Amino acid sequence: MMQNAALKIVEEPQTMTNTEVGRIDVENAAVTFKGPKGKKIEALAPTDLVIDPGSFVSLIGPSGCGKSTLLNAVGGFVPLSGGVIKLDGEPVTGINPDVGVVFQQYALFPWFTALGNVMFALKRFPISKQERRDRAMAALKEVGLEGREANYPGQLSGGMRQRVALARTFVTSPKVLLMDEPFGALDAQTRVVMHEILLRVWEAHKATVIFVTHDVDEALILSDRAHIMSAGPGRIIETMEITDERPRRAHEVTESFLKNRNHIIGLLRQPGAEDH
Amino acid sequence: METHLKKYGQLAVSLSGVIAVWWIVSGFGLVNQNLFPTPPQVLAAAVELYRDGVLISDLQISLKRAAIGFTIGSTLGVLIGLLTARVFAFSVALEPFLTLLRPIPAIALVPIAIVWFGIGEGSKYFVISYTVFLAVWLNTHAGASSVAGTYIRAARSLGANRFREFFEVVVPAAAPHIVVGLRLGAALAFLSLVAAELSGASSGIGFRLQDARQFIQTDRMFVGLIELGILGALLDSVFVLISRRLVHWESA
Repeated sequence: MMQNAALKIVEEPQTMTNTEVGRIDVENAAVTFKGPKGKKIEALAPTDLVIDPGSFVSLIGPSGCGKSTLLNAVGGFVPLSGGVIKLDGEPVTGINPDVGVVFQQYALFPWFTALGNVMFALKRFPISKQERRDRAMAALKEVGLEGREANYPGQLSGGMRQRVALARTFVTSPKVLLMDEPFGALDAQTRVVMHEILLRVWEAHKATVIFVTHDVDEALILSDRAHIMSAGPGRIIETMEITDERPRRAHEVTESFLKNRNHIIGLLRQPGAEDH
Repeated sequence: METHLKKYGQLAVSLSGVIAVWWIVSGFGLVNQNLFPTPPQVLAAAVELYRDGVLISDLQISLKRAAIGFTIGSTLGVLIGLLTARVFAFSVALEPFLTLLRPIPAIALVPIAIVWFGIGEGSKYFVISYTVFLAVWLNTHAGASSVAGTYIRAARSLGANRFREFFEVVVPAAAPHIVVGLRLGAALAFLSLVAAELSGASSGIGFRLQDARQFIQTDRMFVGLIELGILGALLDSVFVLISRRLVHWESA
């Protein structure tokens, strides 16, 4: 029995709560796209950025500011036209399952149940079907979806779907979690609930989170650090440390929260930072 | 349940209306009854065909031909459609060729099929499976080549290999299109069945229609037409039922 237990620990896909992994170094990374008529569009100007392991970082700015491009480059979805992005010292060359992604649109597979979607993520590990099932159930419980495992995504509300997506991503304890406006389609009340769930799960698993949003409050409530970006070309114009104690609430605004919010909104209003 | 009742009620009303109009037009001498038989005459012809044993045997042989042709055509259609959509080599080699074949109507193939496969079953299977294949291939190809990019990204970022990506993501994502293709293929199987049976056959519903023409037995022709109508409609509703279960998430 003891041996069995020891074996199980070895089989763990990733060490939980390891704050030493998940460091991201963005070194002079740039992305250009071919626009219509073959014109080159600089989606992301050469950018330098260090993201600490286990930290929660927001990228905020208007559309066209390169925030999604930067996120996709870290995820290996978009090739760089210059520079390098390293994850724990290793250059990112493509899609990597150590980097979890929660997509803007619900990318749940509608042909699998909630449980099936979470189990999908565990299939790459050599574990028994029973264990896969148990872990997936535990992950669904963690996001408060106990009893919903047999539902198909079409039978779940928008908030519930994003919770399944969160469980599906966190169940393998990725080093990094990329979130591209994951709550953009949800109503304000559901958003608040989702923020709490996200922070709870993040604190339990301690992955590095890069969170893209255009909602200033959302960035201020969630992150340790916010990078404010601007368009034409897409670039980071300022980095803000957010030191307020968690939990932070949009309806119990502190003085520093308000100051930060005013500052960011002011930055986003500057010429050259308008929405395109 | 209530919607079912409503549907069947509508069907009953519409059918009895059509039969009533048909009866009035044919029964009151508005048209030549030899060319346009009355409902009782058609019923009598059906009974006669049944007594002769050919009604059932025609039905059996025609259904068998349609089923075998459909099975061959749809299996190949799904397999090759998935390959041309997802494997570059197949797409390059086959897609333009298949696109060129598509406009050729099934009836045009009957003469060459008879030369190649004789007037036996082989030529029928060929014509039917060919027609079904093209419809199923086209829909499968369209479905499998338009799988949403997010599904593929999600699958890869969740560590799925190419094999799992194909069978657990591409195939189910294309399934709604495949099912539409199969439904269309089933309807086309009937169409090409009749085309194949009208010439060079000695049994089947299509043959019976052609045979009745020799003796201007319009009542028998009506029996054949009604048979085809009922069979087609039944088959289609079976398909709708199955596809609703198979791709249940589409309607959810």
